[in-house]
Amino acid sequence: MRRYNIFYFIGQAFSGLWRNGVMSFVSIAVLMSCLVVIGGFSLIVKNIDLNLEQFGTLNEIVVFCDTEATEEEIVAVGEQIGKLDNIASIRRITKAEGLAQMKAEYDVYDDVSEENNPLPDSYQITYVDTEKVGELDYQLHQIEGIVKVNNRLDLATSIESVKSGVMLIFVWFLAILAAVSVFIIINTVKLSVFARRHEISIMRYVGATSWFITLPFIFEGIIIGLFSSVIAYFAEWYIYSYIETMVMADLQMISILTFAEIKTTVLLGFIALGVVAGIIGSSISLSKYLKS
Amino acid sequence: MIDFVNVKKAYPNGTMALKGVNLHIDEGEFVFIVGHSGAGKTTLMKLLLREEKISSGQLIVGGYDLAAMSNFKVPYYRRELGVVFQDFRLFPKKTVFENVAFAMEVVGTPRKKIVRRVPAILNTVNLAGKQDSFPNEISGGEQQRVALARALANNPKIIIADEPTGNIDPKMSLEIMSLLVKINKLGKTVIVVTHEKNLVDYYKQRVVMLKDGLIVEDHVGGMFQ
Repeated sequence: MRRYNIFYFIGQAFSGLWRNGVMSFVSIAVLMSCLVVIGGFSLIVKNIDLNLEQFGTLNEIVVFCDTEATEEEIVAVGEQIGKLDNIASIRRITKAEGLAQMKAEYDVYDDVSEENNPLPDSYQITYVDTEKVGELDYQLHQIEGIVKVNNRLDLATSIESVKSGVMLIFVWFLAILAAVSVFIIINTVKLSVFARRHEISIMRYVGATSWFITLPFIFEGIIIGLFSSVIAYFAEWYIYSYIETMVMADLQMISILTFAEIKTTVLLGFIALGVVAGIIGSSISLSKYLKS
Repeated sequence: MIDFVNVKKAYPNGTMALKGVNLHIDEGEFVFIVGHSGAGKTTLMKLLLREEKISSGQLIVGGYDLAAMSNFKVPYYRRELGVVFQDFRLFPKKTVFENVAFAMEVVGTPRKKIVRRVPAILNTVNLAGKQDSFPNEISGGEQQRVALARALANNPKIIIADEPTGNIDPKMSLEIMSLLVKINKLGKTVIVVTHEKNLVDYYKQRVVMLKDGLIVEDHVGGMFQ
C-alpha cells in the first residue's frame, strides 16, 4: 500500500511553487538579492585582501656592504646571506646599478660618475615570515662585510595591522549581512507557508505524516535556492565584469581578480548558500504548523 | 467502536469543556451530536480527531487508545477516519479530482488505483463530470460533496461530520444528509455534529445531546429537544 516516490514530492514541490507563483517569485527575488549582496561584499573583501597582500610582498631588507670591500668579499657576504633561514630571495645590486637607479630618481646624482661613485654594493633581500624579521635583522648584522641593514619592519607591522583591522571589520560586516539575509529569507518563506497554512491543516486531517507534509516544502526550498543562486550568479557575473573592466581601465594601480578566476567558487558558494537558506527557511517556518 | 469513559477535558485557561462524558457508539451506528453553543460539541470533535488530548478518563476509537497515543501515531489514526467540516476545507488550487486523490496519495496509494477509484467515489456523491472543476467553480453543496468524497477515499470505518450543512442552503443540506445516511447504510459509523433541529428531527436517528459539558439525553430515534 505505502509506495512513496521521491518524484512525487518533487512534482508536488514544483506544483506548489507554480500554484503559489507570487510568493515563489518573492522568495526567489529576495534570496537572489541577498546572494548578490553577500557575493558582492565577499568579492570586495577578497580583492582588498589581495591588494593588501601585495603591499605585504614589498617587505624587504636591504643590506649595504663596506665600500672598501673587494668583489670576493661582496660575493662571500651574498653566500652567507643565502644560508640564513627565512630568506625568500636575494638580489645583488652593484654600485653601478645603484648609481643608475639614483640618477633616474634624483637630479643631484647627475654629476656623479662611475669613478667617484660613493654608493656601496648592496643586497635586496625578501623574507618568508614577517614575525621572524627581528631575528633575521640580528643575523644580518653579524655578517662581516655588512655595514648597514635597512629593514622595513615598522612598515610591515603597520601594513599587517591595517590589514588585520580592515579584514576584521569586513568579516563582521559580512557576518551581519549574512545573518540579516537569513532572517529575511526565513520571514519570506514563513509568509509563503503562512499563506498555505490551511493547506497544511487539511493535510494533517487526512492523515499526512509530518515528513509527508514537510518534504514538498523542503524541495520547494531547494528549488527556490537553486533558481535564486543561478540567477544571482549571472547577475554577479554581469555586475562584477562591469566593475572589473572599469577598474582595469581607470585604476591600474589596483589589482582585481578576474571573474573567470572565481566563477566556480562563486557559483558553488551561491548554490550552497541558496539551498541551505531554502531548506532552513522551509524547516523553521513549517515546524510551527506541524504540531499535532 | 467508540468509547468515552468518564472523559473530562479542561483547557489551560481553566475552562472545563467536558465534565465526565460516558458514551458508547457501536459500529455502523448513525449518531447526531447536538447541543447549543458552549455545550462541548466542538471539544468532543477535537478529542475524536485527536486534535486535543483528554484531561482524564478513557477514550478508545476503533481500538486506538487516544490518551496513550503518541503524536507520531496520530496521522495513522486519522487515516481510519473520514472527516467533513462545515467550511469544506478543500485545496482551492486543486481540482475536484486532485482534492479527493490527495487523501489517497497521503497513504501511498498507487496512481493506477487512484485513477480508478476517484471517479467511482465522485459518482457515489453525485459529482460525476465535475472532476476537473476547481472548488470555486462549483456550489457550496457540491463542495461539501467533494469533502465527503475525500472523507470516503480511503474507505474509513468512521465518518465524522462537523456541522456539514452549516454553510449550504436547506435543499443541499437534505442532499448531504441523505448521502450521509446512504453512507451509513453501507456499514460506516457516522457521527454528525449539528445544531440544525429540522434535520435531526427529520432523520430520526440516535441523538446525543450535550449541555454544559455533560450528556443530558441519548435517544435512538430521538428528537432535538
